[in-house]
Amino acid sequence: MSDQNPLVPYLYLLPHAIFFLVFTVYPIALGVWISVHRWDPLADTQPYVGSEFYRNLFLDTPQRDFFWRTLVNTLLFTVISVPLLVITALSLAQLLYRPVLFRAMFRSIFFMPGILSVSVMGILWKWLFDNQSGLVNVILQMMGRPTIPFLTTDGWAWVPVTLGTVWWTIGFNMTLYLAAMGNIPASLYEAAELDGAGGWHKFRYITLPLLQSTTLFVVVTTVLASLQLFGQTQVITGGGPARATQSVIQYITEEAFGNNQFSSATAMSFVFGAIMLIFTAIQFRTMARDAGGPR
Amino acid sequence: MKNISKHALTLTLALGTTLAGAAYTGPKVQLNYLHGFTGPDRPVMEKLISQFNATHPNIEVKAQAQPWGTTWQQLGPLVASGRAPDVVAINEDQITGFAARGALTPLTAAELKSANANTANFFKPLAQTSMYKNVTYGLPLQSSALAMYYNKDLLKKAGVSGVPKNQADFIKAAQACTTDKAGKHPTEAGFDAKNLVTWGAGMPTPWMGGSLAYSVLRQYGGDLVDKQQNADFNSAAANQALQFLVDWIGKYQFSPANATEASEITAFRQGKTCFNFNGVWMLDQYNGQEGLNFGIAPLPKFGSQDAAWGGSSHLTLPKQRANYDKNKRAAALEFISWMTQPAQNLTWTSTGSLPTSQAIAKDKSFDNSKISDLFDALPTVYATSGYPWVAQVRGAWDAAVEAAILGKKTVKQALADGQTEANKQIAQARQSIR
Repeated sequence: MSDQNPLVPYLYLLPHAIFFLVFTVYPIALGVWISVHRWDPLADTQPYVGSEFYRNLFLDTPQRDFFWRTLVNTLLFTVISVPLLVITALSLAQLLYRPVLFRAMFRSIFFMPGILSVSVMGILWKWLFDNQSGLVNVILQMMGRPTIPFLTTDGWAWVPVTLGTVWWTIGFNMTLYLAAMGNIPASLYEAAELDGAGGWHKFRYITLPLLQSTTLFVVVTTVLASLQLFGQTQVITGGGPARATQSVIQYITEEAFGNNQFSSATAMSFVFGAIMLIFTAIQFRTMARDAGGPR
Repeated sequence: MKNISKHALTLTLALGTTLAGAAYTGPKVQLNYLHGFTGPDRPVMEKLISQFNATHPNIEVKAQAQPWGTTWQQLGPLVASGRAPDVVAINEDQITGFAARGALTPLTAAELKSANANTANFFKPLAQTSMYKNVTYGLPLQSSALAMYYNKDLLKKAGVSGVPKNQADFIKAAQACTTDKAGKHPTEAGFDAKNLVTWGAGMPTPWMGGSLAYSVLRQYGGDLVDKQQNADFNSAAANQALQFLVDWIGKYQFSPANATEASEITAFRQGKTCFNFNGVWMLDQYNGQEGLNFGIAPLPKFGSQDAAWGGSSHLTLPKQRANYDKNKRAAALEFISWMTQPAQNLTWTSTGSLPTSQAIAKDKSFDNSKISDLFDALPTVYATSGYPWVAQVRGAWDAAVEAAILGKKTVKQALADGQTEANKQIAQARQSIR
């Protein structure tokens, strides 16, 4: 078979295409089918119900009450956690890029929590913030301050979830920034110094612009990871109090495997997936333009 | 009397084993058994399976242990694709759902008889847990229950003699146990409920609170669902039960506000609280707590009758493909019957499980065990089971209990909202479940 054969490029693509069709296209197509039928693997019939499970999200149903509420919870977590996870990671990278004492040790310390499983991380932060016996409340008591019922109060319950997530995942973003900083030519800083630029000016006009493509990657992946919040709230707060910290994926899982409403859960997954796509598209449009990269 | 019971038990055990061993005489078959005993109970399960295989040369059971949650997710697709295991262990909150969705096969009276299994030998509510529409779908292997742990030293210090057995005694004892920073009790003027040093018992949320509230609801004669299996907890009994639990914090003041299951466990281990309501599975942890002088007792009668929440695991036979080997079904029946016989159940209680039958509860090995203090109450241990939408009902119930305990809603409003939510979900579930 010569290179001129028009089939050659398609044959090269075939191995990937098979996996793509079997593990991506087919599940999505099956998902669409499930979402418009009343589907249960054990049922004798799977009747077509059209858009019923999508409409349920706008009618007087538990799905409407809980889907949008848990979506707002998830967006709230994203809005709070993403700036923390990006700015703190950048600050840490900036500090640890310079030849400070014990630099390698600090880099390891910040990266290490990331290797823990979400259950271990969750249990740890649940212990720390337990209402009566958690270390944080013990310290508050020792200081003569009133204790805070973190795990049973709306608002406060986000504190262990958010801080725990930052502690757990900050090392990954920091490492990405450290790697990107290594690619900035030292000559740029030397030239800036000759022009009399101080530390802040070098960071503002050299480091930050040249890290823009990394920042785009970090922000997009962090936003997507935050929108997929599940394990932290599952273990630390159980989604409580009264679903105040339940994430949308947690609710979709409950609907599918707790309530055995697989079609309803699938419809919600598609709606949530579409919302995530819109978020990502907006980020690419606003940030990729600044980064100067291809659209 | 006790000696007669012991002899009777020995005879029962011997007879049970012999008869069970004689039931299956067909050709050699291999059975796949799926269970979720992945913790310290796994070696005990494996030991029992080895014993079964050794005493039943024509049956070979191959067991697979995996987390319970994985089993609930996989069982439906496995049955639908005709690849179901021959035997599956299923817990009390899941079994009715699988039965109603057609994943399990009924155990007929003739089959149970031929396998020497009699559901009447088990504690009645426990045997009923695996029944749906008057048909049996499993035999109980494991049993657990909500219990009341009490700190003997703290009770003595508070001047309480005897373990409270009714509501009035419990309130009195719990208030006697409760002291603020100035050493005052809830019954004294100037008592500061926000600064407790020791307390009677915390009222936690959400799941453990829901289980405790379910126990008290049953004590007041109510239940979570009615005969048509619709949510029925906006009732007078539920209002009374939940109000009593809310009053632990506001009216009687022997519970801190915002208690959690974890905070109450820690407080009990630290000797700060007289009573702790939790499952029998906490016994090992409390036994290992140095300096903790405690006992275990059934829940006091807060309402008009004795009752407590209970959990259990049942051995079931899933629905198989059309040409399934009849010998395998006979052998599977033989296996689940043997595993649930008193002799095996006695071995299984070493995992912390409660006896599944009166015969085992009388065994002399429990004579000096703390756990035997619970045995009198075993006939009144009830599971949230018997209807296919346990998750929907329990979810709404737990949320209602939580809202009332945390003061977000009045008891009346919380129960009304919870029942409305549960019934909306049941109406949806009815469209796919028969």
